[in-house]
Amino acid sequence: MADLINVIAVGILLGGIYALVSVGLNLIFGVIRIVNFAQGEFVMLGMYGTYAGYTYLHLDPYLTLIVVLPCLFVVGAVVQRLILAPLRTEPAMQIFATFGLLMLLENVVLAATGGAAYSVTSRVAQISVDLAGVQVGLVRLIALAAATLVTVALGVFLRYSMLGRAIRAVAQDRSAARLMGVNVDRIYMLTFGIGTMLAGFAGCLLAPIYSLSPQIGTSFILPAFAVVVLGGLGSVPGAYVGGFIVGLTEAFAGYYLDPALKHAVLFGVFIAVLIIRPSGLFGQIGAEEVGLRES
Amino acid sequence: MTAFWARRTSAIAAALMLTLGSAAAQDLKIGVVNPFSGGMALYGDEMTRGFDLAVDEANAKGGVLGRKIVIVRASATSAQEAIAAVEQLIGRDKVDLLSGTYVTAISNAASEAALNNNMLFWETNALSRDLTDRGLPNFARSGPDSSAFARRSVEGVLQLVLPKLGRTSQAFKVWIEHEDSSFGTSIAKEQEQLLKAAGIQVSMGSHSARAIDLSDSILRAKNAAPDLWLSTGYVTDHNLLLRTAREQNFKPAAMMLVGTGDTFETRDAVGKEFLDGILLVSYPRSDIGEAYGPGAAAFLKSYQAKYNRDPIAPQSMSAFVGMKILLQALSAAGSTGYEKVIAAAAKMDQPFGTYETGYGVKFDKTMQNVRALPIIAQWQNGQVRAVFPKETLAAGVAMLDLGRK
Amino acid sequence: MSLENGDHKVTQPILASLTRPQPATARLVPVKTFLGEMPLALLVLAMLLGLVTLFSGDSFTLNTLATALLFAGLSSAWNIIGGFGGQFSLAHSVFFAVGAYTTANLYLRAGVSPWLGLIPAAALAALVACVLSWPVFRLRGPFFAIATMAFTEVALALGNYMEWATGGTRGMSIPFRPGLANMIFRDRFSYALLMLGFAALCLMVVIAIKRSRLGYYLQAVRDNEQAARAAGIDVLRVKLKGMAISAALTGIGGGLFLMQVRVADPSALLSLFDFGVKFALIALIGGLGTIYGPLLGALLVIPLESWLRAELGGLMPGANLIALSVCLILASLFMKQGIVGASGRLAILAGRRWRR
Repeated sequence: MADLINVIAVGILLGGIYALVSVGLNLIFGVIRIVNFAQGEFVMLGMYGTYAGYTYLHLDPYLTLIVVLPCLFVVGAVVQRLILAPLRTEPAMQIFATFGLLMLLENVVLAATGGAAYSVTSRVAQISVDLAGVQVGLVRLIALAAATLVTVALGVFLRYSMLGRAIRAVAQDRSAARLMGVNVDRIYMLTFGIGTMLAGFAGCLLAPIYSLSPQIGTSFILPAFAVVVLGGLGSVPGAYVGGFIVGLTEAFAGYYLDPALKHAVLFGVFIAVLIIRPSGLFGQIGAEEVGLRES
Repeated sequence: MTAFWARRTSAIAAALMLTLGSAAAQDLKIGVVNPFSGGMALYGDEMTRGFDLAVDEANAKGGVLGRKIVIVRASATSAQEAIAAVEQLIGRDKVDLLSGTYVTAISNAASEAALNNNMLFWETNALSRDLTDRGLPNFARSGPDSSAFARRSVEGVLQLVLPKLGRTSQAFKVWIEHEDSSFGTSIAKEQEQLLKAAGIQVSMGSHSARAIDLSDSILRAKNAAPDLWLSTGYVTDHNLLLRTAREQNFKPAAMMLVGTGDTFETRDAVGKEFLDGILLVSYPRSDIGEAYGPGAAAFLKSYQAKYNRDPIAPQSMSAFVGMKILLQALSAAGSTGYEKVIAAAAKMDQPFGTYETGYGVKFDKTMQNVRALPIIAQWQNGQVRAVFPKETLAAGVAMLDLGRK
Repeated sequence: MSLENGDHKVTQPILASLTRPQPATARLVPVKTFLGEMPLALLVLAMLLGLVTLFSGDSFTLNTLATALLFAGLSSAWNIIGGFGGQFSLAHSVFFAVGAYTTANLYLRAGVSPWLGLIPAAALAALVACVLSWPVFRLRGPFFAIATMAFTEVALALGNYMEWATGGTRGMSIPFRPGLANMIFRDRFSYALLMLGFAALCLMVVIAIKRSRLGYYLQAVRDNEQAARAAGIDVLRVKLKGMAISAALTGIGGGLFLMQVRVADPSALLSLFDFGVKFALIALIGGLGTIYGPLLGALLVIPLESWLRAELGGLMPGANLIALSVCLILASLFMKQGIVGASGRLAILAGRRWRR
C-alpha cells in the first residue's frame, strides 16, 4: 500500500512537470496549429538561461525568471515573424522549419558549451519533504505548484483579458476574427512568443531537477505532444489534466511493469485514446478535423 | 572567452591549411573518426585532445618513421556516418591509418570500411567485446574493454566493499542498475555473472539514459533493500538517479558507479556531501599516484598548458596513452601497413605501470590489450581520488568509509 | 468526365499544376500517361547512371551518391502517401526497420540471399503499415503526424525489448562476406549501382501510381477528403493502398541499407531525425507531390550534409549541423514549394519575360 501511494505521488509530481512543459505547446498548437517540434528546445534554452543567470549573475535559479522570460518571449516572437509567418501557406514546410530550428538550437548550445552536463542548484534543491509517509522532493513540489499557477493564470488571461479574447477568437475562427478587427498576424506572433515564454518558464523550474544537456529538449517533446493531444486541443485545463494522465501512466508502467517499457505503454495508451476519441479527453469534438491547410 | 575563440580560430586556420594542402607530402596522417556532435560530442572532443597531445609530444621528438604526424579529424555519430568518414579520410584526405572512436557502432563500421581499404584501425576507447572478438586482421584495441570494467567493479565489491562493511558474500545483496544501450547492458550482464559466481545475491534493473524520470528505478531498487547499489550509465542518468535517490531517501550501505559519475558534472548536480564515499570505476585519472601511472601529473600539466582548463573526462588520458602505444607500434613496425603494425604490436610487451594511465602493453590473440584496466576511485570531500589498486593511491590519500550520510 | 488517355484533353486539377490558370481560359494540357513519362524518366535515370560512372574512381563521392540515391528512393516512397496522399507520416522509420530486420534475420538465420529476402521484407513492412495506420487514418493533418511519431516511439521501445528479433540494444551485425549473392560488395561502385537500381524502382512505381487511378484518387483525397468521399471514392481503402505500397518500398530500402552498413541497433534505425523525418524533409525540399522532387531533394540534401560534415565536422562540436540547419531553414523560406516548385516558378517568370 505504501508502494502504491509512493507511485501515485511520483506520478502526480511527474505530471506536474509534463503539464509545465506542455502548457506552451498547447497554446501554440491550439491557436496557430503549428506542430512546433522546437518547443523542447525552448525549454532547454530556458534551462541554460537559468544556468547562465545562476553562474554569471549569481542569481538564485528561481530568480533568473526575471531575465529568462522576457528573453524567450522575444526569441519566440522573432522566430515566428521571421521563419514561421512566411510559411503560413505551407504547413508541411512549417513543420520542416521547426525541425531545422530544433537542430539549430541544439547544436548552437552544443557548440557553446562543448556538451558537458551542467547543473544548477538552488538552496531548496536538496530538501526532501515527508508527506504522509512518502518522500517528495521540494523542487518537484515547486514545479507542480508552478504548473498549477501558470495553468490558472493562462486560463484567466485567455478568458478575461482583451488579448486573451483575441487569441481565443483567432483560435476559433481566423477569418471571423479578422473581420472583427483582430490583427491575426500580430496575434500569431504574440501567441508564439507567449508559448516560448511558457517554455522558458518550464525550463527555469526544471533546471534544479535535471542535468542540462543540449539533447534534453528532445526528451521532452514527444511526451509533451502526448499531453497536449490527450488532454484535448485548445483546452487549457485539458493539458493540465493530460499531464497527470501521462505522468501517472509512466509512473505505474515503470514501477509495476518495467522501466524499459514505460515509454511503450505510454504511447500505446496515447494511440488508443487518439483512436477512440481523437479530440482528446477535454477537447471540443471536431477540433481534430481542422487539417493542416489554412481553411 | 578569448581562449575559446583563439582555439576556434586556430582550428579553422588549421582546417583551411589542410585543405589548401600546404602540408608537406611526407607527413604521416592519422585519420581520427570520433563523434563531434550528438550526445557523445564531449567525449569525442576529449579523446581527440588526448590524441593531439600525444602527437605533439611525438613530433617534438622528431615524429615517427622520420615523418611529422598530423591528425585529420572526421566526425561520425552513427555507423552510416562512420563509413562516410572513413571514405572521406582515405579517399579525400589520403590518411595513412585510422584511429578512434568511443562508440562501438561507429568503431564497428569504421574498422570494416578501413579493412576494405587495407588500412589499420586502432581503437583506443570503445568498449564492446564484439569489436575484438570479430577477429578483424586490421583491428587492435589499446584500451580496456567492457569486460575489464565489469571485472574491476566486481573486484571492488569483493576486495573493498565487503571488507569495509565487515560482511562476507553470504547474504550480501547487490542491485545492478544499468542504462539500456549496449554499453550498460554488456557490462551489467558480466557483472551479474561474476557476482553470482562469487555467491552474492543479485537483482537487476535497467533504465533509459534519456528518461525524464527515474523514480521507478530507484523505488524498485529501494524495495530490494540491497547492501550495494551498482550502476553503469552515462552522466545525465547517473545525476538524475543520484538526485532521485536522495529525494527518495534511498540509502544503501554502499554505492558504486561504473563508467561515469567521476566528473564535476556529477559533483555540481548532487553536491559533495552526498557523494562522499561513493566508489567509481572509471578510466585512470590524471591525479593517480606516480607509482601506478608514471607521468600522469605531467600529462595534466601539458593538457592545462595547451587547453587552459582541466580535462573534463578521464577518457582523454586513456586516448593519449592509446595514441602513444600506436606510435610506438608504428616505430617498431617501420611502416604503416596494417599487417606489419599489428604484427609489431603483437610482439610488444610492457608491464603494468609503463604509461600514464598505468597501462602496460600485451595484446592477446584478438588484439585486445589485456594490460589496460580501469581503476577504482572514490569521492572524498568533493574530489575524486583513486583508491584501488593500492598503487594508485596518491600521497596522503586513503580509502574512506563508504557510509551514506 | 472520362480520364482515358489518348485524344481527350482535360482540365488539369488546380493543385497539381505549377501554373496559375488564367481567368478566362483555363489552360488545357494533354493527359500524361505512364509511357508518356518514360522518356523523361529514362533520361533522368541515364543521367544518374552517368553521374555514378563519372565518379567511379572516387569512393568518397560514390558513397555519398549511394546514400543520396537510397534516400531518393526512400523519399519517393514516402511521397506516395505523404505527397500524393497528403498523409504526413512520420512512422516510415518503423517500416524501414521492419524491412531491415526481416532481411537481416532471413540472411543470418536461414541463409536466404538478401535479394530474395527483400520480398518478404517488403510484404511484412506493408502488412505492418496497414495494421498500424488503419486505426489512425481517421486523424487529420498534425494529429496523424503525431500519432505516427508515437508509433515510432513504441516501436523503439519494443525493438529494444525484443532481442530475439533485433538483437536488442547490442544490435545486429552482418559479417563481411563479399559476394553478389550476399549483396555485400567490396567497392563503393557496386553499392552506388545497387542504390541507383532502388531509386529507379521507386521512380517507376511513383510514375505508375501518379498516372493511374490510384494516383488520382490519392490526390483527390489529399485535396478534399469529403468531396472525394462524396464522389464515391473509398477513402480508407485508397489510403491503405497508398500506405502499403509506400511501406513496401521503404521496407526494401531498409533491407538494402542494412546490407550496406551491416551494423544497426533499434535506436539507429528508428531514429526520427536520421530517417523518419529525413524522408519527409527531402520530399518537402524537393517538392511535395511531384515525381522528381524527392530525387532532386536527396541529391541536394545528402551531399550537402556529407560535405558539411567533412568540412566542418571536426572543427567544433556541432558545427556541421549548425550550418546544415541554417541551410535547411533558408531553403524552407526561399523554396516554399520545394525545388521543383521553385524551378517551376522560375520557368514561369522566365517564360513571361521572354513572351513580353
